[in-house]
Amino acid sequence: MEDRAQILRKMVANIYHPHSASIQGVKEETRDIKTLTLVFKDQEIQDHFTFQPGQFVLVSVFNCGEAPISISSSPTFSEGLQLSIKKMGLLTGEIHRYTEGEEVGLRGPYGNGFPLDELCGHNLLFVGGGIGLAPLRSLIQYVFSKRSEFGRVTVLYGARTPRDIVFKDDLAAWGREKDVKVLTTVYRDNPEWKGEVGPLSPLLEKAAISPSNTKAIICGHPAIISYVIFDLLKMGFAEDEIISTLERNMKCGVGKCGHCSIGSKFTCMHGPVFTYRQIKEFPSVL
Amino acid sequence: MPDELILDKEHLTGFLRKIAKERELVAPVKNSHGDTLFEVVSSVDDISLDLESKPVMPAKNFFLPRTETLFHYQRKGKQYLFKEVLPEVPRVLFGLRSCDLWAILFLDVVFQENFKDRYYLNRRSDTVLINIGCREPMRNCFCKSAKSGPFLTQGYDLQLTDLGDRFFVEIGRPRGRELVEKWDYFFRPATNRDRDEQYEIVLEAESRFERIVDFDTAISRFINNEVDDALWEELGNRCQGCGGCAYVCPTCYCFNIVDRPDSETEGQRLRIHDACTLAGFTRLAGGHNPRHERSRRVRRRFYHKLPFAQEKYHRPSCVGCGRCVEICFGRVDMIHFIRMVCERPEKSKEASLRLGEILVRAGVISTEELKIALEKQDRTGKLLGTQLIEDGLATGKEIAFALGRQLGIPETVGTGGVVGR
Repeated sequence: MEDRAQILRKMVANIYHPHSASIQGVKEETRDIKTLTLVFKDQEIQDHFTFQPGQFVLVSVFNCGEAPISISSSPTFSEGLQLSIKKMGLLTGEIHRYTEGEEVGLRGPYGNGFPLDELCGHNLLFVGGGIGLAPLRSLIQYVFSKRSEFGRVTVLYGARTPRDIVFKDDLAAWGREKDVKVLTTVYRDNPEWKGEVGPLSPLLEKAAISPSNTKAIICGHPAIISYVIFDLLKMGFAEDEIISTLERNMKCGVGKCGHCSIGSKFTCMHGPVFTYRQIKEFPSVL
Repeated sequence: MPDELILDKEHLTGFLRKIAKERELVAPVKNSHGDTLFEVVSSVDDISLDLESKPVMPAKNFFLPRTETLFHYQRKGKQYLFKEVLPEVPRVLFGLRSCDLWAILFLDVVFQENFKDRYYLNRRSDTVLINIGCREPMRNCFCKSAKSGPFLTQGYDLQLTDLGDRFFVEIGRPRGRELVEKWDYFFRPATNRDRDEQYEIVLEAESRFERIVDFDTAISRFINNEVDDALWEELGNRCQGCGGCAYVCPTCYCFNIVDRPDSETEGQRLRIHDACTLAGFTRLAGGHNPRHERSRRVRRRFYHKLPFAQEKYHRPSCVGCGRCVEICFGRVDMIHFIRMVCERPEKSKEASLRLGEILVRAGVISTEELKIALEKQDRTGKLLGTQLIEDGLATGKEIAFALGRQLGIPETVGTGGVVGR
């Protein structure tokens, strides 16, 4: 324990100090999303770095600055930290050019993460849209590593087109688990696509979700979040059984820089995971 | 050494000269353009010290510089290395105004709470703060309303009062005492007459404020949700989004972290001042901006400075220095804002709007179209949103926006900027 305290001190002595991590693997998920597996260069940090599903790290890329990225692997995954990154701008564009062995900087983990204790013993409904499945993947894989502690699991996933579906292998593997239902839909199909087409909402009915003893965890584009919450409320989900994440422009990660403020809270510290009840309480346009 | 001393004015330069030899001395200096600014004084004899006017900029820049290097980074082959740059400057800030000193104490809390900010705290760790009480309020000053002046009762290392030919010196924190004890030959004990004179000056200064700014009423109106949208719209129209108010504000501390490449192999990670009223402040990768409209950014700023600061720190984060009043030509400053809020007739609390009403207000559909859709919906039994999309009167995005608003999900507000522009 003392050891860990010392390492933690080393890591937080300067809260803005990134730690170098090298890329152990790159997996192309879609045409614009890649999953990187990262390992800290400093063995002590690597050995003691822990996080909760739903937390994020600030990723430094040479000459590009920093960006907040959700961790997409489970804390129980031993081969490193995985980040699934969509190519959006300067930094993410650069990181997409990186290959095995190249280094990035990491600091964190930041944010509150999903409330694991509260989820324990419940049926879980995961609704993800696009890259929004990344933080959910961390939690889903964690749940499967502690399968007996959770009830039935349903994963509803929506992507723009069949080519935009992330974690294809994982979605298939999850579907094979006991007491698990996975449904995937696309907004626009192509000739090869045999699955669902259209918005996510109808899948809720299809999956025969019942609100009893169930927690819903939603992550995706704000529009998807709105639709799904609307439907879940109609189905009888209580406001604090609906859990979502807010995306903000986090710069410091430690509740100082002001960029991710929402109401009197900071998304980087008090979030990014909030219940719908909490989200509703925030002054609407702050 | 007693707690109250006299420093004769003829000894001031000598005292400052001694200080400047041992520490970095920062003092208000009138420059060649006639502006008074806090500056690092290398030679006391070559400057024109100005203890009469309000420095244009607050003193926060000495602890949270406009631009500072956090790290030097380097790429060596595939390696990516960081070298931290931690500043530590023994410093004396002389001639601070009470409001500016109070603001520094406020920033101390922000940078110490939760995660400690080494950069700020290192700069701040060996600093002596010496303020001079204001004998009369300067233009636009309202520190009395903000409870941060014109004289302080705590927080300073040394506090000076101008008694004409001499300064009345009060010793506050231990660093102030150390400084005085080190060069005690410049000081003599204050007499009862000095004390009486100083007390009179304080009373007189307090009575001279013309600007009375009612923070309490304004904050209670926030808390009771009595500030209406029309006020924000008006302020949004007047705000030019220049960020000037935040740059001159002694308690505004929002910052950005960016990289500045120096070459193909190295560069610097910088921290720079930022402002919540600037358009890009909350913009995300991909362009989505939760505070897309200017009125929302202005609203954020005042919420942060008043009710949120009150909730967290039990006081507004405004020290009444009046600099935002001087810099803002749109009158989106604290004095005008609080006056607007207080003079507003009480607003009846807005009932929660229905989906159709939100769409009408946002200009997506007309009342006529809503009426038709509602009648149709009665027959078909479909949801209003579905009905409107089917009839081609609204897009899915627009319905999502309205739903988000109805559900109070802030993220959807201004999504893609499709509505309300």
